[in-house]
Amino acid sequence: MKKALIALALLLMLLPAAAWGEGEPAYYHIVDETGAYITHYTGTPETGDEYIAHDNRHYVITRVEESVHTAWAQDKGVYKMPDIRWLQDDSRAVAAMKRAVALYCTHSDESYEPSDGDSSVTPRGGIYDVAEKLKGSLEAQGITVYYNNATHLPHDSAAYRRSRATAEGLVKKGVDAVFDVHRDGIPDPDQYNITINGEKASMVRLLVGRSNQNSASNREFAAEIKAVADKMYPELVRDIYIGKGSYNQDLSPHAVLLEFGTHTVTKERAEQAAEYMASVIQKTLYGGVTGAAGGEDRSAGRSGRGAWTGVASVLGVVIVGAAVFALASTGGMRPALEKLKGGVNEMTGGLLNRKNKK
Amino acid sequence: MTFGSFVLSALAVLVLLGVGQRVLDKMRLSDRSALALILLMFLGGLIPDIDLGMVRVNIGGALVPLGICIYLLVTADERAERVRGLVGAVLTSAAVYALGRIMPAEPEKIALDPVYVCGIAGGVIGWLLGRSRRGAFICGVLGVLLADIVNAVVLRLSGIRQQLALGGAGLFDTAVISGILAVLLCELAGETMERFARARGVGPDGRRVKLPREEKRE
Repeated sequence: MKKALIALALLLMLLPAAAWGEGEPAYYHIVDETGAYITHYTGTPETGDEYIAHDNRHYVITRVEESVHTAWAQDKGVYKMPDIRWLQDDSRAVAAMKRAVALYCTHSDESYEPSDGDSSVTPRGGIYDVAEKLKGSLEAQGITVYYNNATHLPHDSAAYRRSRATAEGLVKKGVDAVFDVHRDGIPDPDQYNITINGEKASMVRLLVGRSNQNSASNREFAAEIKAVADKMYPELVRDIYIGKGSYNQDLSPHAVLLEFGTHTVTKERAEQAAEYMASVIQKTLYGGVTGAAGGEDRSAGRSGRGAWTGVASVLGVVIVGAAVFALASTGGMRPALEKLKGGVNEMTGGLLNRKNKK
Repeated sequence: MTFGSFVLSALAVLVLLGVGQRVLDKMRLSDRSALALILLMFLGGLIPDIDLGMVRVNIGGALVPLGICIYLLVTADERAERVRGLVGAVLTSAAVYALGRIMPAEPEKIALDPVYVCGIAGGVIGWLLGRSRRGAFICGVLGVLLADIVNAVVLRLSGIRQQLALGGAGLFDTAVISGILAVLLCELAGETMERFARARGVGPDGRRVKLPREEKRE
């Protein structure tokens, strides 16, 4: 006990020292198997990471070389984007939806250097102006927006833990989709700068977490947003990144993290992108029917395959988890099965084991 | 929302309720009490938070888990167990706070979600300190709540006024998930170690043990 305490105390003394020793963020080149450039990447990619490029090519990282800051990705071919033929048919109405979405900002300090003076402004960075712009543009399309402008400082990984209460509070309102508004950290502004209809704007990256039960559903939703954007504003959506985190997307099967530009683009460009993005969201969710009177949607038009994949994955995790626990505690297949049976029997009050009772 | 999305959301709630009930069941609580408490966490999470100005407290995500921790501390067999629980909670909160600062913040860089990290920290510390499931639950829940309070104090000292939300996500809050995950990890580690020790004919306390005949046959 004493030894464990001393070891823990020493470990914890070292942790805070390392906490403030953050180095410069690493930027990686992601290339395909032939060495051809695919994209820049903030941070260290890991084997298994997935990426859907602007041209819808689907890549999976297979090798990371830290010394040369390069990751190699396997080209899995063109990603099967959702069928959006309904985009030409606005009259298609299926079921009533709430026509409400939710917005919040996990990283409260995120700002745009050219406009805000710094890439990080506390307590409230320029990202809140972009979120406000998105809110106003969505409302102009007849959508109710629940926007929680709470801050979740500091800008560290625990910010997602702090913004969880904000996200859950918004989900409870029964919204059709939840968006966490961010900006990227790639230093080169040209990676994000675009011109749409003669207006200067920034591209938008969509980010989906894969370590939660809603991952497949959210990935399907993100792909649909990109497919619609590609039709409406072909340059607007830069790509879709499928990361290892959860980003609180376990709270809703329609949750996506949006990155409006990077810290080196002007905020005005990001705000312009927010205006375009509002139209894309409105089309994706409600099929182009604007105004409160047009409270109809095309939700049943979605395959819903992602949600069922999620259901299967939850059941799979439960079964595997229960089997691992039973095996670890009994050490054999037969006693493990008996233990599982006993557990199920106890939880269901004997409903599933009546014969044995008799 | 599609039917599939509805089923997925409902299933997530049911699984969390089921696992939570099984976890609480191991805390000197009857089946019914465990079920009542986990339902209380779920329903308490639906009620609006208690707003105290700079602090917001959720009934399901903070008050009920906190109440369970107090119950576990009060009903502990010996004083040492109480001390281990409290020391573990402080150590977990330090680990949770430090890990929050160390781990990469950008979404593209996150290798393990911060919500799960808290549960792992609570489970490891709870197990190291007392090989106790109850200790692990206390570490997991109190560790997260204390780390949030520490962060609020640090912010306040640097002149930033930010409302502190304790357990704001109800049943889905990090405090609850961390407590449940910590117990599951502790249980898995404990059962596995015990299994290995017994297979070698040695008990957890280092003494020789005699295996029952049935187990020897396996």
